[in-house]
Amino acid sequence: MHLLEIQNLTKIYEGKKVLDDIDLHLKKGTTLGLIGPTGCGKTTLLRIIDLLDLPSSGKIFFDGIDITASNVKDMDIRRRIGMVFQKPIVFKGTVYDNIRYGLKVRGKNEDSYETEIFKLLDSLGLAGYEERDASTLSGGETQRIALARVLITEPDLLLLDEPTANLDPLSTEKIEKLIAELSKKKHTTIIMATHNLIQGQKLSDQIAILNKKIFQMGTPEEVFLKPAHKFVAEFVGVRNVKKGTATQLEPDLTLIKLRKINIYSISHLEGLVYASIRPEDITLSKMKVISSALNEFKGNVKGIVDNGGLIEIEVDVGEDFTVHMTRKSFLDMELTVGSEVWLQFKASAVNVFECEC
Amino acid sequence: MSEIINAFFQAINLIVSLDPEVIEITLRTMFISLSSTFFAALIAIPLASLIHFNKFRGKRSVMNVIQTLYSLPTVLVGLLVFLLISKSGPLGNLSLLFTPGGMILGQTILVIPTVIGFSIIGLRGVKEEIKELALSLGASNLQTVTTIMGEAKYALLGAIILGFGRAISEVGVALMIGGNIRGYTRVITTTMSLETQKGNVELSIALGIILLSIALIVNLILNQVQER
Repeated sequence: MHLLEIQNLTKIYEGKKVLDDIDLHLKKGTTLGLIGPTGCGKTTLLRIIDLLDLPSSGKIFFDGIDITASNVKDMDIRRRIGMVFQKPIVFKGTVYDNIRYGLKVRGKNEDSYETEIFKLLDSLGLAGYEERDASTLSGGETQRIALARVLITEPDLLLLDEPTANLDPLSTEKIEKLIAELSKKKHTTIIMATHNLIQGQKLSDQIAILNKKIFQMGTPEEVFLKPAHKFVAEFVGVRNVKKGTATQLEPDLTLIKLRKINIYSISHLEGLVYASIRPEDITLSKMKVISSALNEFKGNVKGIVDNGGLIEIEVDVGEDFTVHMTRKSFLDMELTVGSEVWLQFKASAVNVFECEC
Repeated sequence: MSEIINAFFQAINLIVSLDPEVIEITLRTMFISLSSTFFAALIAIPLASLIHFNKFRGKRSVMNVIQTLYSLPTVLVGLLVFLLISKSGPLGNLSLLFTPGGMILGQTILVIPTVIGFSIIGLRGVKEEIKELALSLGASNLQTVTTIMGEAKYALLGAIILGFGRAISEVGVALMIGGNIRGYTRVITTTMSLETQKGNVELSIALGIILLSIALIVNLILNQVQER
C-alpha cells in the first residue's frame, strides 16, 4: 500500500515551471531522499504535499485520499503530516510551549505527554531546555526544537526540508541519528529534501534526483552506480561521462563508438548513448598486462591532482579519463605528467544511459 | 511668579493630603477612561483581526480612513454622540446624556480607530512563516488566528495602552457629553478647564500633575511592553 502517490504534478509559478510532471509513489515506512541542487523544486514539492501550496495540475493521494480535491479538509490531512522547514522559526514562549503546540491544537491532554516530551528533548541533546525562552536558542538548537515539535504529534508522513543545512557537525549527527531511528523503530514514512548526497545516501531507502522533474528514482546504489541521465551522473559526481553511438555485437556485448576510441559495454542500449566509468573502476599500469578487461588503451598522463587522500590522474588515450589511485601505487609507479601508461576497465564497469539529444 | 510657585505648593499639598475632591475626580477619570478603553479594545481587536486576516477590495482605503481617524477631533465625536443620545436622538430613550455612561460611549468611539490601527500594525509585525508553521502543525484557521494574535500580544497591549492615553487626556467628549457635573461627571480634564477659568489654579495644577503622572506611568508600561 502506498502512503503517498503523486501523479503528473506540475507547478507553474509566475509563468515558470518549477515542477514538471512529477510522479512519485512512496510505500509506508520508506525514507525517500529528495536530492537536487538549490532551486530544483524540493521545497515547493514538500510545501505542496503539506498543503501549503497548490499544484497547478496533477493529483496527490495520501493514504488513498485525493488531497487535492476541494472537499478534503486541509487540517485533517495536515494533522497526519509533519513538516520541518528549512529555516525553522519558533513561537514566542518556552521550548516546552513550542513542543506542545501540536498537541494543544489537537485538543490532546498535554500532561500525559510530559514524559514523552522530556524523552524527546533528551534524545535530541536538549535535556533541561524545556523552560528556556525558545527565541534565544542557536540555529542548531532551533532546528532540533522544530523536529521535536513535529515528532511529538507522531505524524504518518514526515517532511524534512534540508534538516541539517547550515548546522554544526554535532547537531547534524544528532538529527541524522534520530531520523535513522524513526525510520527503523517507528517505521515513520519520511521524505527528506537535501542537497547533501552523502546524507541522502546514508539515510534513505530510496532516492529521487529532482531538478524540476524527477530524473531518476531508485535505491541509492542504483542511482549512484548506474545514473540513468547525464544530469544525474553529473549531479552525483560520476566522472568520465562520454557521449557515443552504441551497436550491439552479441547479446551481452555492445560496442560504443566515442569520438576517437571505441569501448565495450554489457549494456543493451543502442543508438546515441552516454557511457560513464567510475574512476575507481579503472586500473592503470606502466606496461600492458594480460587481463579479462575488454577495454584497454595506451595513453599519456596529462595531469596529476593530489587530493590528500586518493590521487586523481588525468590520462589522455584519445579521450580524457580520470583515474583514482592510492598514494602508494602512485609512488610505486613513479608517474609524472607525460608518462606513458596503459588504462584498463571491464565492459561491466561501463554504465550506459540514454542520451536525450 | 511667586503666585505660580505658591499655587504649585498648594497643589502638592492637595495631592499629599489626599484631598477628597482630587481623589474622587481622579478615581472617576480612571473609571471612565479604563471602561471606554476596555470596550474599545473589545470591539477594535476583533475588527483589526478581521481586517488583517481577510483579503478584500479597498483594504488600503480602509487603512487610510482608520489612520485619518487617529486625529478625529474630540469635539466632533462629542457632537456626534450628543446628537445620538440627546432626547430627540435615536438613542434618546437610554437617557445617557450628561451621565458617565454617555462619556464612556463617546470615549469608546474616539479610541476605537487608534486601537484598530495600531493592532493591525502589530499583527502585521508577525512573520508570515508563523501562520504556515501553525497550519503545518495542524492548527485550524481559528487556532492559527489566535496563535498569531498571541504572537502579537505585546503589540496589541501597546495599542490598548495608546488608546487609554487618548481617552484619559481628551476634554471634548467629557465636556460635551458629561456636562462637567460636580460629583457625577466631572473628570480631571474638565475640572482643570473649569477651575482655571474660575481662578482656582492650585486645584488645576494638582490635577495636571496627576494627569501627567498617569501619562508617565502609562508610557513606562508601554515601553516595558514594547521591549518584550
